[in-house]
Amino acid sequence: MTLHRNSRKYHKWLMLFVGLQFIVWSASGTYMVLMDIDYIHGDSFVAAKKQSLKPEKVQYSFRQLLAEHAQAKNIELGFMLKQAVYRFSLNKEKVIISAKDGQQLSPINKSLATEIAKQNYAHKNAVISSVQLITAEPPRELSTRHLPVWRIDFDHFASPSFYISANSAQLVTKRHSFWRIFDWMFAFHVMDYIDESPDNKLLLIVSVLAFIASIFGLVLTYYRLAPAQNKRNKGKSRRVKLSQSKSRERAANEKTE
Amino acid sequence: MKKPNNKRSKLFTLSTIKSLHKWLSLLVFMQLFIWLGTGLFFNLMDHDKAGGNQYRQALVSQDIDHHRLLNPQRVLRASNSPASEITLVQRLGQPYYLLTHDKGLYSHFDSHFSLVDAYTGTVKEIDIDMASALAQSSYRGSGKIAEVLLVMPPIADFLKEQNNLWRVNFIDELDTSVYINASSGRLVGHSNEDKRFVDFFFMLHFMDYPILWGKPSGGFNHWLISFFAILTFLFCLTGLIWTVQLLIKGRYKVS
Repeated sequence: MTLHRNSRKYHKWLMLFVGLQFIVWSASGTYMVLMDIDYIHGDSFVAAKKQSLKPEKVQYSFRQLLAEHAQAKNIELGFMLKQAVYRFSLNKEKVIISAKDGQQLSPINKSLATEIAKQNYAHKNAVISSVQLITAEPPRELSTRHLPVWRIDFDHFASPSFYISANSAQLVTKRHSFWRIFDWMFAFHVMDYIDESPDNKLLLIVSVLAFIASIFGLVLTYYRLAPAQNKRNKGKSRRVKLSQSKSRERAANEKTE
Repeated sequence: MKKPNNKRSKLFTLSTIKSLHKWLSLLVFMQLFIWLGTGLFFNLMDHDKAGGNQYRQALVSQDIDHHRLLNPQRVLRASNSPASEITLVQRLGQPYYLLTHDKGLYSHFDSHFSLVDAYTGTVKEIDIDMASALAQSSYRGSGKIAEVLLVMPPIADFLKEQNNLWRVNFIDELDTSVYINASSGRLVGHSNEDKRFVDFFFMLHFMDYPILWGKPSGGFNHWLISFFAILTFLFCLTGLIWTVQLLIKGRYKVS
């Protein structure tokens, strides 16, 4: 009997302290599994692009580029809107030059950033609610390595934001309400409210307590669901009697049905 | 049959909560222990080992002679299919133009590339020798190459990958495998026994049991976990209601 009684005591007391985290784990876990991860990552907000480079539009060559910018790394010939451009890294900063004459085009201004955001956005006729240049102290959802960046907020369901790099003129990241909620859910799931990293001491302590509390819970499940025969031999607990009378009540109910 | 008796229905609610908690515990306890156990594992595991990059080394790039670089116009005209991007890349210290024909939103999405020698304009196929050499250049262990295979998705070590990859297996104590994109020659990543061990725990945590659908999906958006997540949430909720009720009744006494 002592195992049964102690289990009830410890399950009751431990759950007083970790029970709330069980709610947080199961609620945040449910949210994360029910929301499609590709939707969460905002993939459906991004327009599919299909542009091909025309030889006559590329008057400026890689050779000329390296002659002018000897330190250029990761050189890439692609598009900015409908214009063929080169992007490359120069002293860890992105630079864009025209593929027609090599003229530098970066950093881009507000109206160009807005155009690029619209071109990348899947829903045409999108209304933009605000545009902001971020050069320091980025919001939680943005990594500092993307700075400087233009933030374009759309006036649309789930309030999507597109972040367009001012130096590369590319969509570097995006967020919308359900992704922002997802990030918070993950933070609460791993109990790290700042870095969202699962290797923290708080999570360790709570998980260990939760594990112990659950083992006592499993013992209780055994005593409550094991055949009544077992229980009668284990002593005269008030609640055992109660559960026996309940099972008799259930049996009676089943008969009447 | 309706029972309008208020007192009775209230009593019924509390005992229903308790009975629900009891029966739900029977349904979810196995998975709950798996979640708690694997969760603890993620908390305690060595995050450096989990990456599978024990023997990975950075690829070294060589100086290129930019006077010899072909004009991109020529490369575009010679290409059979249109390209949306040309990137100047290096493979084994040699410069190549990487032509992007189709590119997904992320690098593991279905994509099509071709590789053209930036000095001569010859199209370079990533064959078995090239794949082996590329893998070797990213590997700093002492193991020799055991086998090189062209693998198609789904690929157990990189379940999200949608492109064909070369898998280069090394003979070392960690059973390192190096993956190279078959059309671009890009290093996709390394995997080894440590990473596979962690992946197994993720499979358990995400209930991505291969026994149910033949192959793991690599994700956590499926009906089985959704069903268990909802049951577990109800289980926790009934427990919380029970606890609150015990508190109200003054059953938490320190004595």
